Amino acid sequence: MLQYTLKKLLAGLPLILGVTFISFVLMVYFGPDKTYELAGKNPTEEQIAQIRADLGYDQPFFKRYTNYVIELATLNFGHSDSTGERVTRLLGRTIPISLALTLPGFVLGNVIGILLALLAAYYRSTWIDKSIMTFAVVGMSVSFLIIIIGFQVMFSSAYGLNMFPVRGWSMDTLGEYLYYVTVPTLAIVFVSLGYNTRFYRAVIVEELGKDHIRTARAYGASARSILLKRVLKNSMIPIITRIMFSIPLVVISGSLLIESYFGIPGVGKVTYDAITTGDQPVLKAVVGATAVLFVVVLIVTDVLYRLFDPRVELK
Amino acid sequence: MSEPLLKVRDLQVEFHTDKGVARALDGISFDVMPGETLGIVGESGCGKSVTSLAILGLIPSPPGRIVGGQILFQGQDLLSLSEREMRKVRGRDIAMIFQEPMTALDPVFTIATQMGEVLRRHQGLTRKQARQSAIDWLARVGIPSPERRIDDYPHQLSGGMRQRVMIAMALSCEPKLIIADEPTTALDVTIQAQVLEQIVKLSQDLGTAMMLITHDLGVVAQTCHRACVMYCGKLIEQSATGPLFAAPAHPYTAGLLASVPRIRTQRLDSLPTIAGTVPDLLHLPRGCRFVERCGQAIDLCHSAHPPLQVDEHSGHELACYNPVQGEAR
Repeated sequence: MLQYTLKKLLAGLPLILGVTFISFVLMVYFGPDKTYELAGKNPTEEQIAQIRADLGYDQPFFKRYTNYVIELATLNFGHSDSTGERVTRLLGRTIPISLALTLPGFVLGNVIGILLALLAAYYRSTWIDKSIMTFAVVGMSVSFLIIIIGFQVMFSSAYGLNMFPVRGWSMDTLGEYLYYVTVPTLAIVFVSLGYNTRFYRAVIVEELGKDHIRTARAYGASARSILLKRVLKNSMIPIITRIMFSIPLVVISGSLLIESYFGIPGVGKVTYDAITTGDQPVLKAVVGATAVLFVVVLIVTDVLYRLFDPRVELK
Repeated sequence: MSEPLLKVRDLQVEFHTDKGVARALDGISFDVMPGETLGIVGESGCGKSVTSLAILGLIPSPPGRIVGGQILFQGQDLLSLSEREMRKVRGRDIAMIFQEPMTALDPVFTIATQMGEVLRRHQGLTRKQARQSAIDWLARVGIPSPERRIDDYPHQLSGGMRQRVMIAMALSCEPKLIIADEPTTALDVTIQAQVLEQIVKLSQDLGTAMMLITHDLGVVAQTCHRACVMYCGKLIEQSATGPLFAAPAHPYTAGLLASVPRIRTQRLDSLPTIAGTVPDLLHLPRGCRFVERCGQAIDLCHSAHPPLQVDEHSGHELACYNPVQGEAR
């Protein structure tokens, strides 16, 4: 297992290099350029050259990419162009916030999605199935923005319950955390639930039609044991795949909308600001972290497959 | 004779499809005596498997539905039982051996888990006892080194071994009736006979009655006391195996028997077959369902389906207006 993991990590290195290279090309040739923002009005040729040298724009492309790879390896990305804060400190401060913000909604969205899907699949084409799926389609059809704004009106304004804040963030105590995280979590759950339920229902319906499920029933297994034990373990491969591959998106980019609408200083907001202002040190760190995260997710996914399906071999 | 173990009376099953209602079983009646082996014979799609699933209450619904009839097991109508009561019957009183050894076992659980679950549920054994019992049963169905094999997953076993596991699981709760739905069809020809022999021998040792569903007439001749012949959801002939093979009365039965190759007595350029194909359940002929393929249909056959008639002396049942005469074969 350990040997396998190491081998996979090594195999992941070219992938990391490839992803970072492509992103770097895009960033350098098509990304924002900070030169004129910093130069002020009517700069001279020398001033411009000086600023470009300070930003490191004047160096040959290959050298810049090599530097980037070294930065990635040593986790030293320097300081943010915009705020002057160390990039590692900036990310260390904001990533936990984003995780704390999105994780509850992500977990609940999947768990509730699977439970609803089990119900819908088991009671296929009855009113239970139909009402769950109608709800899912409604959830999928309403725009995320509408949901955020709607929930804010419902829970956080004088027009509704007025129990939760519209903006802000704090994790100092559990009470404060729950106070700030509840409405964003509800919004995330509501948005992801429709997609999740539909996907998981399709998986489970297929699984319920398998011969071995009929065998289990023919030997007196209860609906509960069939659904929660047999169907669930047999559906683990698609479930794991879906959950694992949405992790990088949830961590890095999934929280952007939520963070900007609820005024939460998470990594999504940091990334968004870095893109719009051309803050290359921050961008480089985020792009690198995403690539590494993907490779790690790939490996963990393979190991999890083996854990749930004895037919999968790790080679 | 004693009271039948299983009495099926006028069983009717319908499937709702996009094109209309298909009546997969149209008034099937038969008995299974305690300890007896009953063969159910017919072509694909004639309702053999539906019959067995109906007995266990496993017709997929929707689209399937039991619309009429009775299934009396030891005098109790299984169709009137609740799902909870039915679960106690499944596996404990009536066990089923399925056709597809490759897919009928759960791929992500070990044999120990799958057999142990059944034993614990129906026999009230502890985890440890269930494991020991499962090992004993694997040994009885001829699996070598069962104490090692029990921790295997189904994909680590060959098709024949898997079917033996299936048999061990079916016998493990010592049911009163085993329904074997084409238990050897999916296996290699070389081990079909072995596996079949094993099923028959073990069920005889245990005094278990068996319904053997098959399209292999050789299997019926070898193993069954009686046989029912089904065609398009109807039972058309039923008799003790000996007389049925010696003197089939229904033209369909006769046709089936004629199309079995005989190595010793005949050398043929081509095998006799029954002309035509099985009619679609949605577009059945008005009279006898076999009329379009029957060589000796009379006018009456086209207008009405012949009722099943019982010969009081022999117990022979037949649904035909113009049966094959005894010496015609």
